[in-house]
Amino acid sequence: MAFKALYIDSISTWFDIGIILNKSIPIIIIGSAMCLVFQTSLFSLGAEGQLYVGAFFGSLAAIYINNIPVTLHIIVVFSTATISAALYGNIGGVLKIKWGVNEVVSTLMLNYIAILITSYFVNNIFKDPSTKGYSQMAYINKNLLIDKITPSNPVHYGIFIAIAVVIITLIILYKTKFGYELRLVGNNEVFAHYGGISKKKVIFWTSLLSGAFCGMAGIVEILGIHGTYKDNFSAGVGFDGIIVAILAKNNPINVLIIGLLYAYIQHGSQMVQLYSDVPREIAVIIKVILIVLASSKGINIRFRLKRKLQVERE
Amino acid sequence: MNEYIVNIFNVTIIISILRYMTPILLSSIGGLMSDISGVLNIGLEGLMLIGAFFAIMSNALTESWIIGILVAVIVCVVVSMTMGYCSMKLKVDILVAGFAVNVLGSGITILLMKKILNVTGNYLPNNLNNIPTINLPIIKNIYLLDQLFNGHSLMVWVSVIAIILCFIILYYTPYGIHIRATGENPEATEANGISVTFMRYTALMWAGAFCGLAGAYLSTGITSMFVRDMTGGMGFLSLAVVFFANKNPKLILVGSIFFGLISTVSTLIQITPDSKIPSQFIEVIPYIGTIMSLLVVAIRKKYKSKLRFN
Repeated sequence: MAFKALYIDSISTWFDIGIILNKSIPIIIIGSAMCLVFQTSLFSLGAEGQLYVGAFFGSLAAIYINNIPVTLHIIVVFSTATISAALYGNIGGVLKIKWGVNEVVSTLMLNYIAILITSYFVNNIFKDPSTKGYSQMAYINKNLLIDKITPSNPVHYGIFIAIAVVIITLIILYKTKFGYELRLVGNNEVFAHYGGISKKKVIFWTSLLSGAFCGMAGIVEILGIHGTYKDNFSAGVGFDGIIVAILAKNNPINVLIIGLLYAYIQHGSQMVQLYSDVPREIAVIIKVILIVLASSKGINIRFRLKRKLQVERE
Repeated sequence: MNEYIVNIFNVTIIISILRYMTPILLSSIGGLMSDISGVLNIGLEGLMLIGAFFAIMSNALTESWIIGILVAVIVCVVVSMTMGYCSMKLKVDILVAGFAVNVLGSGITILLMKKILNVTGNYLPNNLNNIPTINLPIIKNIYLLDQLFNGHSLMVWVSVIAIILCFIILYYTPYGIHIRATGENPEATEANGISVTFMRYTALMWAGAFCGLAGAYLSTGITSMFVRDMTGGMGFLSLAVVFFANKNPKLILVGSIFFGLISTVSTLIQITPDSKIPSQFIEVIPYIGTIMSLLVVAIRKKYKSKLRFN
């Protein structure tokens, strides 16, 4: 019963598929941003905080800037979101470059700082007074929101943004000089150094870029799903993106597929909670097993060795 | 401003520093042991949560704090060993394995809380047998010492003894030398006939055991309940202490006291009546403090290495 809800009920209607697609949008965007960071062999866990910062400043720009044409306004909103998140994401990078602060802890802490400070502002200063109980900003003008593709299905145009981000990351990683330098720094730092590639420069730009993408994910989530900035709107989407990037072995194309699968598991686990007495945290067990299996280099090697031995015997 | 100062500067501050520092100290000793052996364990947060959950569950079942602590330690050691297996046998990046443990810790405690205990959010058993408090009769009559050192949970003293023991083990026993050698130069250690894998397993075992103790203290010592994600970033603060200490047990103590102080100050400001400082700004203090301390350590390290090269 529980398994039927987990695997079959969750994709039985077009509506469910729409929800899965919507859930996968921020995960895919952040996942591809994380591909950039992980390929530089930085283990940055700051996506969640950057998502909040981007969403926060983007929403501010959407609500408090008035009397400009809609097209210009949309551009302004997206650029504020991406630039602010990029700058925030860059803090961890700069700390690493300038003083060699370990990025794992600094980016984790920056998450908490971003969440708490934005929470303060949305609860006290930018709170919409008409909503008594909820801590959220005033609703964003309807013209700015991202439309649904078809009126009957929840999926919105953000899915194309996600695909575009995947393609952009692919191009950056594999078709540009910067991407080559980035991968080289990640694969063999010493070789990159002797080749005249500045590791500091690469880290600086990578953290900026990934921050920008995370901010983009935040503002797409706000404009596509929530309609305004809400306190604690993202329930760990940033970390989901990190998991997806790990599962995808830092390849943006895999991120696209695994992001969808991941959203499917999440939606399935919610269905499980609805239709049976199994809590939705059951998905966590699946996730952890997936992480370990996907990032294991040992299992692959063993498998290959076995096959090699077989070939030799024959 | 006056009432803040009155609240901050009295004897209670030292007492609450001791109490807040204990879980950070215990889990950062665990983190230190694994860091010294060359495996950086970032799963402290998840391990602590798992420890806290199993401690309170077995405590409520058996009404014995010893069994509670034992179960917590055993479960955490098992999780930590699994992490070691993944890292050393399956060749998963240790950072990824630690991250997975954090995800697991948050999820599995909520899952088991719903499945086994049939509660959501928080678990408040009424037949709990808390970790006992220690009262030394010798210093009972001396007011200041009585105030300062009596009435603490057993775990506070365990943590203080643990850091001393850790220091002795690391610097005065063959095992300590082996474990330090493993972190410094694995190849040379292996060449001398010491199994690096075995040493790292034992180091991770320490990490699990100490995180289990810290978790047990959180759920059955300082409080008597389990709340979902109750560690609230404490494991990451311990991780920051590990970085701050840079493989030196003495600095672990200093770092833990520092974070104990920060947590105490933020709690005191929070409970001061008519506090005008918004709660989010107070909650953010430990995290900013962490980044600052990391920065100080990094700058110091850089300065030192510069001196060496000149």
